[in-house]
Amino acid sequence: MARIEDIPEPTRSAVLGLAIAGFATQPFVAGPPLSSRRVAVITSAALHRRGEAPFQPGSAEVRLLPSAVPAVDLVMSHVSINYDRSGWQRDINTIYPLDRLRELAAAGVIGAVADTHFAVMGSTDPATMAETADQIVGQLRQERSDAVLLSPV
Amino acid sequence: MIESRGVPTVTLGLVRHHLVATAPPRALFVPFVLGRPLGEPEDAAFQTRVLRHALGLLERRDGPVIIEDFATDAPSHRARSGWELGIVLPGGTADAAGVAREIAAVMPYWHRAVARFGRSTVGITSIEPADMVGALAPYLAGGPVESPVAGLVPALALRFIADDLKAFYSEAAQAEGEHPGAGQVDRWFWSETLAGQFLVALRRAGMASADNAIRAFATRFLVPVPFLPEGEPR
Repeated sequence: MARIEDIPEPTRSAVLGLAIAGFATQPFVAGPPLSSRRVAVITSAALHRRGEAPFQPGSAEVRLLPSAVPAVDLVMSHVSINYDRSGWQRDINTIYPLDRLRELAAAGVIGAVADTHFAVMGSTDPATMAETADQIVGQLRQERSDAVLLSPV
Repeated sequence: MIESRGVPTVTLGLVRHHLVATAPPRALFVPFVLGRPLGEPEDAAFQTRVLRHALGLLERRDGPVIIEDFATDAPSHRARSGWELGIVLPGGTADAAGVAREIAAVMPYWHRAVARFGRSTVGITSIEPADMVGALAPYLAGGPVESPVAGLVPALALRFIADDLKAFYSEAAQAEGEHPGAGQVDRWFWSETLAGQFLVALRRAGMASADNAIRAFATRFLVPVPFLPEGEPR
């Protein structure tokens, strides 16, 4: 676990049996050195601000997470009950590593941390998310973010 | 989907099988438990190792598909023998009154946990921990239920209040001492607490509901199957 043998049933069978369509093309975009990249995170943990409506199961929406939103303001409404939440409860960086990225930026390993990050609902069919991807990329371009770390749960 | 729109990506992957099937431009398979893509809570050095490995793939030019493996297990991948739970539960029966007493007993530990971690993940709905069991109890009757949360249908309210209740206990269980291995808190919650038994009873009642959505959520999204007691329908 996620070595497959560590995932309890019936989640293991569900994971192995998931129909994955794959993608028609294999895009591969080069970029400048890492030390000059502006890095954004896309988490599929269905994070959002406390007080906002929870994600609906199967939702294709994206929630924008400004860097300035503190961890104390974020909650998680992911549909699955079959993964560990104790790690995220202790330390948000276990799933959404902005503190680590800020340290890497301060050390010059990356150029900067993006101003806006993104949360989506894991397990939603990607085929329904084309408009969401357009929206995310529009925001990335507006902020000149040129690297994305995708973090699943 | 992001890379095809022109922005370079790297993904962490918790299921290697899925990485191979999706063939992303750059991916780092991490052998951690589901729910912990950076591996280890409160271990900045470990998290940074994972991140540096993943982000380093952004400088590679030998695509179009790069899948690497992170070779090290997270330290708390397995149960930790040093973890000891400080909570003393009052016992009793798993009815609404019993669970309310248990929540009151757990409350001081939860406040300590919130102080320790500087935050709480409880709060998907605005229902406070002391009011959760009262909000959930009407679902036990199995009949039509008015949603206790404005803006959420009854099935989603049930689901998210239950999530908050689980988070309340889980955070309280980590109020003191060394941190537990993945899964240890869940095993305690489902095997030791009245709240766990209460959620199992809610699941049973929900599975008999006339509300299709409550039936579906109760069946699949309240109690993880590995923690269902013997004899409960799967």
